[in-house]
Amino acid sequence: MKRKTKLWVGSGIFCLLALLISSWYSVTFNGSRLVVPMDFDTYAFQPRDPPMIFSVSIACIYLLGLFFTLFLKGLRSRQSVARSNTTRSLNPRLGFLGLLGFLGFAGFWTYSVNGTIFPFAFFLFFGFFGFYYEGKMSGTFMDERFRENAVQASLKASNITFTILFIALVLLCQGRLMGNPEYTLIGFVITLSLALALRIFLSEYLLYRYDHEELPAEGEE
Amino acid sequence: MAEFECRLKQYRQLKGLSQEQLAAKVGVRRETIIRLEKAQYNPSLKLAIDISRAVDAPIEDIFIFE
Repeated sequence: MKRKTKLWVGSGIFCLLALLISSWYSVTFNGSRLVVPMDFDTYAFQPRDPPMIFSVSIACIYLLGLFFTLFLKGLRSRQSVARSNTTRSLNPRLGFLGLLGFLGFAGFWTYSVNGTIFPFAFFLFFGFFGFYYEGKMSGTFMDERFRENAVQASLKASNITFTILFIALVLLCQGRLMGNPEYTLIGFVITLSLALALRIFLSEYLLYRYDHEELPAEGEE
Repeated sequence: MAEFECRLKQYRQLKGLSQEQLAAKVGVRRETIIRLEKAQYNPSLKLAIDISRAVDAPIEDIFIFE
């Protein structure tokens, strides 16, 4: 692991530990202040608040720093791809991130507990399975056939996605799903997330298939 | 896509170039040359011109459209 990565992982673990310890401190000695939801309009500083304030502050700084670093890295990677005319280097194992899509099922739990539906959007992470195929095409020289295939794959993926969305919209807009408008909204959020995930995955999968299908044996002729 | 016949393989062999060498010369991947030789890929005008220059043969002799 690179030194910078180690530093980020180490800092992340430190922030997490700081949050856990300060939360424990607040719950044990400070009446759960700043842990349970509270009205900040009437907030008054108390001598036992600093641990929680400190840990939340460093966690926010860490997340902001991580976001900007990843953003800059992505930007640099794009520039490097444009310069070298090859696809970006990616480990196919990143495709396992697609498993995060199962977090979407947490939406059924959060909806039943407090009516929150945003976790259904996590179904979008299923699209990360596309990293597997993108990783398999890492560092591929992008000649005109590759670029044509990429456009073709992207168009086909978009067509399939929009067709699914259109059908889902027509069906869901017929009226209430199981007699409940909220279920209809949930159905739409799930469909939208899954359709977008499919769009992300399919464009990579189809590009890989177009690029590799009917490829002759490795011999010269 | 129009049906076409590609005689790239014979012109390439006449010139004594491997698929890899030709690909490097015209700035494409070897897989693209393989597909061109099997008439599975319709090249752009620029690529067709580059190939014709690389193998020293007229475009209309390499790519024959029905």
